[in-house]
Amino acid sequence: DSHIQYERVGADVTMKCGSMDWDAAVTWTANGTDIDESHLNGSYLILKNVDLSQSGQYSCYEGSSWHLKYQTQLRVGTPPKEPVLMCRSNNYPKGFYCSWHLPTPTYIPNYFNISVIHGTKDMVCEKDAIPKNRCHIKYLQLFSTVKYKVTLTVTNALGKNFTTLTFDEFAIVKPDPPESVVAKPVPNNPRRLEVSWQNPSSWPDPESFPLKFFLRYRPLILDQWQHVELSDGTSHTITDAYAGKEYIIQVAAKDNDIGTWSDWSVAVHATPWTEEPKHLTTEAQITETTSASTSSFMAPPTTKICDKGAVVGSGAMAVCWTAGLVVAAYSILFI
Amino acid sequence: MAAADSPSAALRRDLCSRGIRLAGKMRADVVDLLDAYVEQQGLDASASVAAVEGVPLAAVERWDEQTGTQRLLENLAAYRAFRALLAQMLEEQREQLGEAEAGLGRALAALLLQVSAFAYHLEELLRLENRGIPGEEEEEEDGPPPPPRLSLFEQKLRGLGVLRELAQWAVRSVRDLRQLAKPSPATAAAPGLAESP
Repeated sequence: DSHIQYERVGADVTMKCGSMDWDAAVTWTANGTDIDESHLNGSYLILKNVDLSQSGQYSCYEGSSWHLKYQTQLRVGTPPKEPVLMCRSNNYPKGFYCSWHLPTPTYIPNYFNISVIHGTKDMVCEKDAIPKNRCHIKYLQLFSTVKYKVTLTVTNALGKNFTTLTFDEFAIVKPDPPESVVAKPVPNNPRRLEVSWQNPSSWPDPESFPLKFFLRYRPLILDQWQHVELSDGTSHTITDAYAGKEYIIQVAAKDNDIGTWSDWSVAVHATPWTEEPKHLTTEAQITETTSASTSSFMAPPTTKICDKGAVVGSGAMAVCWTAGLVVAAYSILFI
Repeated sequence: MAAADSPSAALRRDLCSRGIRLAGKMRADVVDLLDAYVEQQGLDASASVAAVEGVPLAAVERWDEQTGTQRLLENLAAYRAFRALLAQMLEEQREQLGEAEAGLGRALAALLLQVSAFAYHLEELLRLENRGIPGEEEEEEDGPPPPPRLSLFEQKLRGLGVLRELAQWAVRSVRDLRQLAKPSPATAAAPGLAESP
């Protein structure tokens, strides 16, 4: 006969060799490996202070005949701690879902049972196939002041635990984040970025249950976010972006009337439109340029060629010292 | 889309928009008043209040299947009831409270005005739907036959129940008016959720 035996971590375990007498000669194995006689008390196997690594198949054989007399699967684990339960409606007004998990693993199978009561009425929470630790409920009533009470009980061979959540219909409404967030520069506008997004696809009826949005943005080089709340529409133009700086942008959503804000959307990056960089010139450069007869540095027609000796860098990135200083001053002006 | 451009459709949309704003403001004020009420009446904000007789419950089954007319009629009946309930609360406040709670009384009076205005707004919408407006119950000077006199604590609890339910109704009314504002066929059947894009 094969058995399964569940024991707590740290427990002392005594295994009997089936119906064999205490003084019978036996051999115990663990996962096929002989167990040293020091662990035996007569024909009993004694495991003290068991740990997780001692889980496995234990077999007992009669000494002379080597007949298998007893076999058991030892599963070392722990009783469940209080489970973590969360309920949320991301598809209001259709229904809500509850999901749960254990804060620490038990290493043995656990069974979850969830009950949902609305006033005096029991409701059925349909378990989802995937993920397993989730179930959903359809609202039978809307606009009720009566609270929902959800109790989750977790049981395993070593114990049980439970947790309860009580909430009202509006409090758990939290949409999924907006989708397809796109940010684009606006041509010929160095301080603008055009942002657009879509309602989360899980929100069933945005026309009757419109969402409002919160947009946050900052240049990568700064930590401080700018925020904008938008009561309608799924687009916004940022008009105060720092020229030439890459921005990170996110959007969140909330039902217009009830519930809480969604998590932030996936972040998008964008840099405002910038003009083609013009090479700046001074009178001295113009003088040097006109006196130079040849140069190996190819420049666009508007660019004044520097004296070779005053060039820093090489190839396409070559710049005059003076031009470099002016450009640097120009850049600082725009930070 | 020709129906959506007709004067009555435009008026209906306009009335619905204004109604939505009224209901939104009403809800914000009820929520503020609830906080003040709980504090000043010495109540526990999380106290469960059993359904109080005479207070219209906002809770509804199959909300998405209601017709536009049903929505308007249910809303109107509710706000008429709230008008009477708030008037009663106001009278009780005046009897119970001294100057310290005068602010609460003023807030209740302001809310009563809003509720009355909203009820009238609903009547306008019903007229537009070419539906007769149900008559109100005949009232004596003191209102409907007064219920047995409640203790002070019972009055406070009932007041809590009234305000909570009114807050729910205000949210429901916004939703109802949005449904109503949607272009719908002449049969005035409200589109169900399944039909939404």
